[in-house]
Amino acid sequence: MASATRTYSPGEERQITWRDILLTRTGIFSIIFILFGVWALLASPAAYGGGTTTTFATGPQSDPRRAEIAIPTLGFVLFVGLLYVGGGLAGVAGLVSERAAWKRAGAIWLVLNGILIIPTILVMAAAGTPGGINVVTLLQISVRLATPVTMGALAGIWCERAGVVNIAIEGMMLAGACFGFITFTLLLGAGMDAKSAQFLGVMAAVFSGWVMSVLHAWLAINFKIDQIVSGTVINILALGLTSFARREVLLSSEAGRETLQPIVLPILSDIPILGPVLFEGRPIFYSMFALLIITHIVLYYTRWGLRTRAVGENPHAADTLGINVQRMRWINVMIGGMIAGLAGAWFSLETSGTFDDGMTGGRGFIALAAMIFGKWTPVGAFSGGLLFGFSDVLGFTFQGLNVPVPSQFVQMVPYVTTIIVLAGLVGRATAPKADGVPYEKEGK
Amino acid sequence: MQRFTIGLLLILILLAACAPAPTPTSAPTPSDEATEVATEAATEAPTPEASASSEFALTPITSVCLITDVGTITDGTFNQFAYEGMVRAVQDFSLDSTFIETQAQTDYQANITTCLNEGYDAIVTVGFYFTDTVLALAPQNPDVLFIGVDQVIENAPPNVVGIQFREDQAGFIVGTMAALMTESNIVAGVYGVDMPPVVKFRNGFEQGARYINPEIGLLGVYIDDFQAPDRGAAAAEQFIGEGADVVFGAGGPTGSGAIVFGASVGVWVIGVDQDEYFTTFGGGETPGADRLITSAVKRVDNGVYHLLGVAAAGETANWPAGSSYVLEVANDGITFAPAHDAAVPSEVTERVTAVLEGLRDGSITTGVDPVSGQLLDGEAEATAAP
Repeated sequence: MASATRTYSPGEERQITWRDILLTRTGIFSIIFILFGVWALLASPAAYGGGTTTTFATGPQSDPRRAEIAIPTLGFVLFVGLLYVGGGLAGVAGLVSERAAWKRAGAIWLVLNGILIIPTILVMAAAGTPGGINVVTLLQISVRLATPVTMGALAGIWCERAGVVNIAIEGMMLAGACFGFITFTLLLGAGMDAKSAQFLGVMAAVFSGWVMSVLHAWLAINFKIDQIVSGTVINILALGLTSFARREVLLSSEAGRETLQPIVLPILSDIPILGPVLFEGRPIFYSMFALLIITHIVLYYTRWGLRTRAVGENPHAADTLGINVQRMRWINVMIGGMIAGLAGAWFSLETSGTFDDGMTGGRGFIALAAMIFGKWTPVGAFSGGLLFGFSDVLGFTFQGLNVPVPSQFVQMVPYVTTIIVLAGLVGRATAPKADGVPYEKEGK
Repeated sequence: MQRFTIGLLLILILLAACAPAPTPTSAPTPSDEATEVATEAATEAPTPEASASSEFALTPITSVCLITDVGTITDGTFNQFAYEGMVRAVQDFSLDSTFIETQAQTDYQANITTCLNEGYDAIVTVGFYFTDTVLALAPQNPDVLFIGVDQVIENAPPNVVGIQFREDQAGFIVGTMAALMTESNIVAGVYGVDMPPVVKFRNGFEQGARYINPEIGLLGVYIDDFQAPDRGAAAAEQFIGEGADVVFGAGGPTGSGAIVFGASVGVWVIGVDQDEYFTTFGGGETPGADRLITSAVKRVDNGVYHLLGVAAAGETANWPAGSSYVLEVANDGITFAPAHDAAVPSEVTERVTAVLEGLRDGSITTGVDPVSGQLLDGEAEATAAP
């Protein structure tokens, strides 16, 4: 964006050079979109001629309630191709022109194109498959896979809004996943019934996340260790600790793989499409929504939230107003740790009924990306989580549709999406000002 | 430059002088000097001369040391089955034995060295990831036999053999079972990392399903992680949403995650590697155990037992020196697990057993390349009358 901030002295005529187009984000996206649009216009008649259609359905073919929409593939792709060329041209026009209206139109059109990418690829990939794509499961799984990412991001928000960088979400999740499941296994082995054992297992997961966060808070707040270092320490510690615990306890136990049972909410789950997506879930899935709402309300509508944000933005000012900065940070970090621990239980207790080394698979880091994507807001974090969940499912779907691309590339989709979104669409995300800065009282 | 050339010449001369040294008539444990020379030989010439294997003769072993992959001898994976095979061999052939449980991949070399130092005649290593370490250490220890489970051994020194499996046959068998059990005519597979054994399972499974019903709907996905049961479950959910009513999970914990999910929502599921009724489903304790219709079984124990038997008897002719012993249906290395609690009609079991016999006598072939796992030309080549 360097060139965008270039200033012109009064009277100097503004020169538009190739740099203004090729080296700005808008310019690069415009050109990519134009190329894609042209390609779509030229290639699609050959690929989708002869009346190919793409079917989107709301259930498997055996489901009597199934509804489906068939879209003529060629028409859709041609339309999208025009949109892309138009959007790209509008983007360039916005760069070249001085007029604000052009700039705004270009920006909006580009964002629209950005959003259209995924449905377009879906329509192209699923062209001509007789069963079509089941939209309901696609959304269902997206939201489900968004659960740990969103919760991890919420954990991050609690910490970072108070001014403590938390890259230890991964480690906290892993600890939660492992010790929650171990507790469940041991209690089950001691003759407890499965439901109570699962409940206590989830509690143990929350507790383990809390323990990890106490360590983080202690290192970061009291000892003022670099917060990236203390986070890394926790991640490594969790990896070693959990694989040791697994080897010592889980390998020798005979427990079966029970998962938390789904709760289908009556009436609500009968709503078409949204019903099965949002109201047929398991407990931690629902708690994600609860935490999302609670975090949003606490952060923006309570005194605690105001103080948290104050401590994260300007701890000195907060201190002069009588807020105990260290205490606020401690409590927020601990809340974050507990949320991360609960997110860990999603992996072991809710989804798979087992624990494996490193089973969180980097989702704690993706959660950080989702948090930044959402600009440190709960709702933004959820949309980041959804984006990741959706791209993950797309990976499965594409492979299932036999898109002629090596599976390794398809599996990159979620990560590439994350990078593109973070680099291209989000723009500048500003962290809380005092994020990562240990607070020291003056004169101490 | 000149010094380098001279050094190279010296090494070559040394090599030439020592080449005939490691013959079976020499002392059972190589002296330090010989080891050093052999190290050079190994770095200079990793592949033995063609004549080496013909000169090679087995000395009957009296002791064996087993090293697990990361895990334990009771963990319900190939570690446990390799160990059980060894225990059986130890009893039948009265061998001395010990085992080491590997704690981390970085310990592979240290663990092999421990076995070597304690003077064991044969070392069984479990797992693909041992391959490089074994191939590096084997030339220095020509009198020790190395048996590697799941290792692809080709043109290696004659004291090294691998144990490989016809996963395509295992997949084929359970694929026919899936095609016979489905009512929606859509069957799905959730596979682990896209690598030869997994590809063999997948293509075998799909070929088997097509063998029963050429029109069957086949869904499948590779997931780039063996340790992601939650993503396995998500993939299974996706496929079930698209109408699949049989799910085959082939990819460690990822695959198990898929079948646990599938069983919990009431579709038929198929396990892999060993009878997952006893591992994943806790011997019937886990809810959904009655949905497990079979597992594609690799008899790791039989492979280890067989090769230890050959080594104990000193049957040089039966020792696949420098290459792999392939377990397939014909030598009882590949089979399918019983249905246990699942309601599988006896006609289905009979039909699948017939397929197993067909693979055994060669009247049925899978149409899958047994090394790369890719489909052979002319696809759906499953021949012979059903």
